[in-house]
Amino acid sequence: MPLRVKVRNAESGATVEMELEGENTIDDIIEGAAGYWEKDAGAYVLRRGKRLLRGQQTVAEAGILNNDELELIPDPEGG
Amino acid sequence: MSAIIKAGAIDGDRFDRSRRIKWIDMEKIESARCFVAGAGALGNEVIKNLVLSGVRSITLVDMDFIVRSNLNRCVLFREEDTLKKTMKADVIAKRAKELNPGIDITPVNSRIEEIDSSCLKNHDVVFGCLDNIGARMHLNAYAYFYGVPYIDGGTDGTTGKIQVVLPPDTPCLQCTTNKTHARILEKRFSCTGQDISIYEPKIPAEITTTSIIAAIQVREGLKILSGKKEYCIRHVCYYNGFLNTFDSFEVSLDPMCPVHLSKFSKSVHPYSHS
Ligand SMILES: [Zn+2]
Repeated sequence: MPLRVKVRNAESGATVEMELEGENTIDDIIEGAAGYWEKDAGAYVLRRGKRLLRGQQTVAEAGILNNDELELIPDPEGG
Repeated sequence: MSAIIKAGAIDGDRFDRSRRIKWIDMEKIESARCFVAGAGALGNEVIKNLVLSGVRSITLVDMDFIVRSNLNRCVLFREEDTLKKTMKADVIAKRAKELNPGIDITPVNSRIEEIDSSCLKNHDVVFGCLDNIGARMHLNAYAYFYGVPYIDGGTDGTTGKIQVVLPPDTPCLQCTTNKTHARILEKRFSCTGQDISIYEPKIPAEITTTSIIAAIQVREGLKILSGKKEYCIRHVCYYNGFLNTFDSFEVSLDPMCPVHLSKFSKSVHPYSHS
């Protein structure tokens, strides 16, 4: 059974619904959301609650549940 | 015999007002050795804050010279510095001594990847004020390898980030990376590991975000030096300057992170671009 989550764009506040399988990775979610919002080719991270999720973790490993809200945050590179 | 105090001594002490903050350990701060990588916008602010906070011994590494577009956010640079292609680290060292002539600041004009990384172990805290992910990962790996706390700062326009790495207790920068970071590294490095300098985006930057992020970096450093690690950011803090929000997030240690794997086998090079 696929899960459905809401991904929020931290920069604009916009949201998008995303359907996920347990074997999808956090990288897949980040790339899907960044692509949907046509983000610049920068770095992004994904949070669930007060945790940042690791890219290689699967949806199941990260403990993502149906109707969860995730947030895509730009990871600033400048100094 | 009772103690003898001198009238006016309070205002003769440069750090009297700092000493009044109970958790700050001025003795430890004054005897600390700090390493700062990057002498750009964050580097200027971090050095200014360290010197004004009482740190006396600083190593500063940067490979660049000053250009006019640095002047919107670099408090220690002057118009005249842009005319002579002066090295950033040299100028900061000179101007920081104007802030406190009692400091010992060593400028190193080099890429961070080209210094002898074993010098990190002679420092108490490492501050990352860098402008690219590759250099950050390199510094993170060696700081972790030598067990030195690493405080990384990053900015992009009105957003910023501070990550505090306390080896061996916390995850490191590498643990937080994903494919988007890898893609940036791929663009920057050819398959031979040579820096091909094609992907060098000009990142938006201004002083208000820079000064906030650098201030928090130094604040976290002062906590570490004062023996208050438990009050440090856990583990990464993101700042949204448009909404003025701060959010701290925990990161889990990546069991496959090469930085931690290398900790258990010192023969393994802690970081490579391959
Ligand atoms: Zn790590």
